[in-house]
Amino acid sequence: MKRTNLKTNDLILQTVVKVVFFIIFIYSVYIFFAGHYTPGGGFVGGLMTSSAIVLLLLAYDVKTVASVIPVNFLKVAAAGLLVALGTGLASFLYGVPFLTHAHGPVHLPVFGEVEVASATAFDLGVYMVVVGVTMTIIQTIGETE
Amino acid sequence: MAFQLLLNVFIAFLWMFLQNTYTLVTFAVGFLFGLLIIFGMRRFFSTRFYLYNVMAVFTLLSIFMKELIMANVSVLKIILTPKLKLTPGIFAYETELTKAWEITVLSNLITLTPGTLVVEISEDNKILYIHAMDISNEEDARKDIRDSFEKAIKEVSR
Repeated sequence: MKRTNLKTNDLILQTVVKVVFFIIFIYSVYIFFAGHYTPGGGFVGGLMTSSAIVLLLLAYDVKTVASVIPVNFLKVAAAGLLVALGTGLASFLYGVPFLTHAHGPVHLPVFGEVEVASATAFDLGVYMVVVGVTMTIIQTIGETE
Repeated sequence: MAFQLLLNVFIAFLWMFLQNTYTLVTFAVGFLFGLLIIFGMRRFFSTRFYLYNVMAVFTLLSIFMKELIMANVSVLKIILTPKLKLTPGIFAYETELTKAWEITVLSNLITLTPGTLVVEISEDNKILYIHAMDISNEEDARKDIRDSFEKAIKEVSR
């Protein structure tokens, strides 16, 4: 982000952001997984993740954030679309219509009995697209002089 | 401090493995035993026994709570006084703290207690510019910050 000529010491902002970033991030992960039974889901989760990164962009400059998170967000959006398409196509393997939802209890090593739904994978795709698109928009606007 | 805490957690996990019971209670018991062992070996570490730092954090919290209530009461008094006899102003405060988080905690504490507000930090992170509601007892405010907040923060990071 381009700053004004007035040089200020952002010490407090930067130190606080370093802590707050992780709180927002873990909350966005919680929101993402909460989506099935309680309010939340891939869209708000993705928006919240990108808002955490935007907070980093506000406290630091574009170059620092790009070196901290060396991710091409365009590719994230593309990968998200592929994940969403993949969950839809996977239903063909079982001979059911496109995007048919499958769910059921699965036994996981640590979590025990968990109700897993294929909609979560679709949601992950939504999440990635939202993060990718939002961050691409903000980074492209921020970089132009 | 972080190393001792990590070692303590490691000892607690080791205790769980030895007992072959993976519950919170076993973890707590192992943690207590680990605490005792680390206390016995406290001269072995380059930093002091970490429970002192934990206690210092709680001291800092209690100081903050006390100051917050006291300062709000004094602001209430000022608001309810019919005539304002205040001389607001900005004074410089030289801090001895060096680490970024220390300065951040100090400035947030100063800001959260009404009457004073950190407006700016100098480029070399040495001087805090503080706006005071009443600058007439500036030396008092300085001494107050140095004796309560800065001392407590130093105690935490020692």
